Amino acid sequence: MTPNPILGCGIGLRFQHIDQILAEKPPIPWLEILADNYLTPGSVQQDYALEIAEYYPVTLHGVGMSLGASDPFNETYFQRLKALADRIQPAWISDHLCWTSAHGWVSHDLLPLPYTEATIKHVVQRIREAQDRLERRLVIENVSSYLQYQQSSLTEWEFITAVAEEADCKILLDVNNIYVSAFNHDFDPCKYLDSIPIERVQQFHLAGYEDKGTHLLDTHGAKVSDPVWGLYALALKRFGALPTLIEWDNQIPSLEELLAETHKAMETQIYAFA
Amino acid sequence: MPLLELQQRLISAIFQRDQLAAAANLVKTQGRLNSEQRVGIYRNSAHGILLDYLESLYPVSLELVGTEFFGRAAHNFIDQAPPTSPFLAEYGVGFAEHLAQLPALQELMWIVEVTQLEWARHAAWHTVNQASSDFTQLETLSAQEQAELRFQLPHSAQLLSSTAPIHSIWLAHQTEPYADKLSFEEIDLQTAEQVLIFREHRHLHQISLNHDDAAFLKAVQNQATMNELAEQFAEQLPWLFSIALQNAWLTGFTTTQPV
Repeated sequence: MTPNPILGCGIGLRFQHIDQILAEKPPIPWLEILADNYLTPGSVQQDYALEIAEYYPVTLHGVGMSLGASDPFNETYFQRLKALADRIQPAWISDHLCWTSAHGWVSHDLLPLPYTEATIKHVVQRIREAQDRLERRLVIENVSSYLQYQQSSLTEWEFITAVAEEADCKILLDVNNIYVSAFNHDFDPCKYLDSIPIERVQQFHLAGYEDKGTHLLDTHGAKVSDPVWGLYALALKRFGALPTLIEWDNQIPSLEELLAETHKAMETQIYAFA
Repeated sequence: MPLLELQQRLISAIFQRDQLAAAANLVKTQGRLNSEQRVGIYRNSAHGILLDYLESLYPVSLELVGTEFFGRAAHNFIDQAPPTSPFLAEYGVGFAEHLAQLPALQELMWIVEVTQLEWARHAAWHTVNQASSDFTQLETLSAQEQAELRFQLPHSAQLLSSTAPIHSIWLAHQTEPYADKLSFEEIDLQTAEQVLIFREHRHLHQISLNHDDAAFLKAVQNQATMNELAEQFAEQLPWLFSIALQNAWLTGFTTTQPV
């Protein structure tokens, strides 16, 4: 199977929409499959993912690689991910520049790394190993964060740029995450965008956040906010009309409402280049 | 500080409330949030993800005990048994046993049995696919093979023997108009039920079994041979066998000794 091109604005595949998508085959440019939910070989979940991939271009997006962890990689996770990728032939595989496991425990939440030279060295080695295991170049995503470590000596944009350059991987730029972290840590999101090397960016993510008063929380449970649409327009001008994905994981709306957000993303692209 | 130690301290704070202060020492105080509050956001976020997941896994149990009680029980469960696998679907197996330890539920064990049923549904859904045997091949077996003939339930099959009417309670909490659905008030909570749950392609079946069907499937599950089944069920066997085949309760057979 040859990977289909990923163009335009897609959506994250959510279980609530699978039957409708398979029955109606709506014109969705591409779908991002949340890999972790479909990794068991021979499971009904994986059957669904394979069927979706017959009709739509797909990417695989993970949350469980734990690229920044100090624990050894989970062998089963990588074996299953590689096997699924070999069958489904995604255009690319992405995961997050963070860690999710330590001490034998798994947080299932995306935890930030300290931004230091030593961490860069550690994560670069891990990403290279992951790329070797998967026999593919990875795409790494910036996460939302709510804390900064005492020992951090670099900005997040310096950190992600150094990691991507040294590991020779691509970047999935989550525009909502940049906005959320910029608010939470009082930095200029435009400076973040302007510091990321253009040729490294492969894809954008857009999602909704919740204003908790003291901080912004990346909930993936609402429409994309106006300030994030504005930042997205700036990102489009710097990086070009890259594939864009709407993420929505909580209080999941109807497929029609989700697709309306992709149409808004397309409109933003058109206006950005008008 | 080495990365390993930093990560161990932060994840300890996520799953052990009394470790928050130790992790906060690693974190800068900024703006309107101090370092402990910032670590607390991650504790709340990770717990929130797992709570949402447990609520999706146990929706009827949630309705039976209420959101507040369920939330407190779930948060305690998460701290006592943090996830150890990147596969989220493997998490939550011990939640029914956790509920069974709570003093408030000691006189309400039927709720715990409903929780067990909900885990059985989850486990059945996530069991891998299997091919069915060709039952027409039964006619070609030799006498020796027939003596060792054993049948197999679907790999996904979960046989539950409950002291409470768990299938009826579960149905009463569904929005779909099932034919055998009663309102909760009509259910006699003292009635025991035998329930079979299994997955057939993309459909999850849940059936309340009568005594004979339950006994037959239990014997099959215990790997009784054809001769042993004939001895136990006598003239009922052809009927029981026929019902089981028609309903896809049997998916295979073997003529080799069980390992």
